[in-house]
Amino acid sequence: MTHVPPYALELRNISKSFPGVKALNAVALRVRPGEIHALVGENGAGKSTLLKILAGSQQPDAGGEILIAGQPVVLSSPKAAREAGIAMIHQELQLVPELDVAQNLFLGVPRTRFGCWLDHGAMRQRAREVLSDLDPTLDVRLPVKALSVAQRQLVEIARALLADASVIAMDEPTSSLTPAEFVKLLALMKRLAQRGVAIIYVSHKFDEIYASCSQATVLRDGTLVTELNLGDTPEAALVAHMVGRAVVPTQRRVAQRREVVLEARNLNWRGRVRNASLQVRRGEILGIAGLVGAGRTELVKLLAGAEQPESGEIWLREEKVRFRGPADAIARGIALVPEERKREGIVPIRSVLSNAALPSLNKLSRFGWVNHGLLKSRIAADAQRVNLRPLALDRPIRLFSGGNQQKAIVCRWLSAGMDVLIFDEPTRGIDIGAKHEIYQLIEALAAEGRAIVVVSSDLPEVIRLSDRMLVMQGGRIAGELTDPAAFSEQAIMTLAVSRETAIH
Amino acid sequence: MTTLTMPPAATEAASVRRTNPLGLSWRDMGTLIGLVLIFSVFAALSPTFLTSQNLVNLLQQSSINACIAVGMTLVIISGGIDLSVGPVAALSAVVSATLLANGAPAWAGVAVGLGVGVACGTLNGMLVAYGGLQPFIVTLGTLSIFRALALIYTGGNPVFSIPPEFREWFASSPLLLPMPVLIVSVVGLLAWLLLRKAPLGEYIYAVGGNEEAARLAGVPIERTKIAAYAISGGLASLAALVVVARLGAAEPILGNLWELEAIAAAAIGGASLLGGKGGIVGTLLGAIILGAMRNGLTLMNVQAFYQLLATGVVILLAMLVDRLTRGRG
Repeated sequence: MTHVPPYALELRNISKSFPGVKALNAVALRVRPGEIHALVGENGAGKSTLLKILAGSQQPDAGGEILIAGQPVVLSSPKAAREAGIAMIHQELQLVPELDVAQNLFLGVPRTRFGCWLDHGAMRQRAREVLSDLDPTLDVRLPVKALSVAQRQLVEIARALLADASVIAMDEPTSSLTPAEFVKLLALMKRLAQRGVAIIYVSHKFDEIYASCSQATVLRDGTLVTELNLGDTPEAALVAHMVGRAVVPTQRRVAQRREVVLEARNLNWRGRVRNASLQVRRGEILGIAGLVGAGRTELVKLLAGAEQPESGEIWLREEKVRFRGPADAIARGIALVPEERKREGIVPIRSVLSNAALPSLNKLSRFGWVNHGLLKSRIAADAQRVNLRPLALDRPIRLFSGGNQQKAIVCRWLSAGMDVLIFDEPTRGIDIGAKHEIYQLIEALAAEGRAIVVVSSDLPEVIRLSDRMLVMQGGRIAGELTDPAAFSEQAIMTLAVSRETAIH
Repeated sequence: MTTLTMPPAATEAASVRRTNPLGLSWRDMGTLIGLVLIFSVFAALSPTFLTSQNLVNLLQQSSINACIAVGMTLVIISGGIDLSVGPVAALSAVVSATLLANGAPAWAGVAVGLGVGVACGTLNGMLVAYGGLQPFIVTLGTLSIFRALALIYTGGNPVFSIPPEFREWFASSPLLLPMPVLIVSVVGLLAWLLLRKAPLGEYIYAVGGNEEAARLAGVPIERTKIAAYAISGGLASLAALVVVARLGAAEPILGNLWELEAIAAAAIGGASLLGGKGGIVGTLLGAIILGAMRNGLTLMNVQAFYQLLATGVVILLAMLVDRLTRGRG
């Protein structure tokens, strides 16, 4: 019987129970050879669990089946998964920084001479062959720590090719890539697909999913919602499948032009911010767009006192100010909602109340003792306003979803009564449902007369939120877009890359 | 040292702090159960263990370590460690004893002794906060320096002739409890209030839990750390005064290995050496557990060598139980 199995990978009836939780419930997934298949769902929908089962690091409950090219397999360990032809490209790349590219490629599966010592020559040769397809300029003797994130990803993909993988699963592969690097990755994925490799692509970014994938499997709360053809599914329908309801985009707010609250004049910092000047007005949302590394985060950290400019001035309500630290800026009503929530935003093991209270404690205490009644009622009111879910102030903040952690940080600054709020990547790693809530919150804060700055790499996001937009490039303000009607991804990208190409 | 290199997963799995009908966190309940178990074993094995006289003795014997451990807990929660508590105690003991022996009034001796402790702690805190050095290294260095200062100041000899009024005040038993026990009760209550009700307490938890996030939230990082070390130094000198009054002399070698016993009490009580976690109730229970071990084994005429062995086993058992029950809520 010359029967060609239609699917490179097929999962049937896969469930996974943890004590008290059913992370996956009778999920199916079918990926054809040469197909780039999106796996989408909110955080907690079960994508990670499914990937862990594919990687062999977790075992599904009894009753499910996994077939590779029509043959049932048991993925009892990461090694078994590798041998079955499944490769994983993780969000956080799993390479040894001190070892060179070739050594990393053969990590765990070394080539040896006479079965005892390592055959570096043969490994380098083979590494060059595999990489020649992907990036011929990459020197296989470079230590991985000297490579860019995009190059490291290539090494991971090369490792998958080296293992003759027929299925490659990519978990948020673009989270640290620039748009240009994504374009390269996309081309590479298409080439791999042409060779017959099946690719499972996990991402929160819809533009990427639509650019790369043909099919999508949607998970919600551990169950399979649907499998659909992306060609005839509009984005809004995909979102509705993910969150289980339609997410209605709100009307654009019309900003009133009011007085300037915060102004920066010719700020410079370590060559990463160069002569940057800007103004933010009351009631306005100022967007700052640009490529990763353009100096946006550094600029807003200067505004919020988290770093000190080497030269240049900061003016607050027509008064020159100097911040020695974030506490100074906060005392003057300027606060930052930082980009890396886990590292810079939250104190994970403390409660939401403790996290939200930090900047308000001093104001709400007398003779060294905090007025806890007042503190709690104020934070409870603000937590309700940001729609924190669950509304459990005594619960450690690390147990909340990313979106709710972000809401708790906004709650922190509401309670502390800030006039200027600076959001750096406000919705990174946040579910689509919570994302819209955060947008509405930011817009409401601006409508109340606060001055808002939003830094974002997510172009649709910065276009949607901004009343006015600055585009940074190489530490400088490359341009300003003042008419929301004229905002477009193309207009932003032109400014974001124009001078870069002019210089080289 | 092993405890200092705990995997990062330890904080990830830190227990959910909820209270039960006794008003204690579940972690503190665990420590209390451990304490009750140890008490039951000793009560069964030794008829004199559960007498009120012995229990008062036990509390008195635990009070020095408890006093040090309260300060240590604040430092540990802030993400630091204070290895210099023993030498700080010795230095303030010899300084205040010299004053007292030379006829200074008792209050002056006490004030100067406490002042020396707070000053030493402040120096530790400033080196950590502004010097950018690791707390372990800073206090390892000052451990030697303060000990050396105490030895140089006294020429290595004990200071005698402590006035009897001073000794009698510390030896008195108002409210049916020995003065050292009352002092530690007040210290513990104040520290508990500090952690629960004062901005500084919340800052200490925040700095230990995530220093960068705390900084961006406007927490005065430097002042918070300095305050924690200053309190630790002050409590070390308070413990020193109690010892001086009890012995009637101040030895420059006083306080040897106090730091380790205090760290043990804090750890048994649930403080995480990674910072951000711990509490006064747990630490006090931890100090009593260590005191009960020593007291009970002595009553049973167990050799000192075996006492040390048993203490080590109890510390490790407590940590293992902690590890296994974490994340249950």
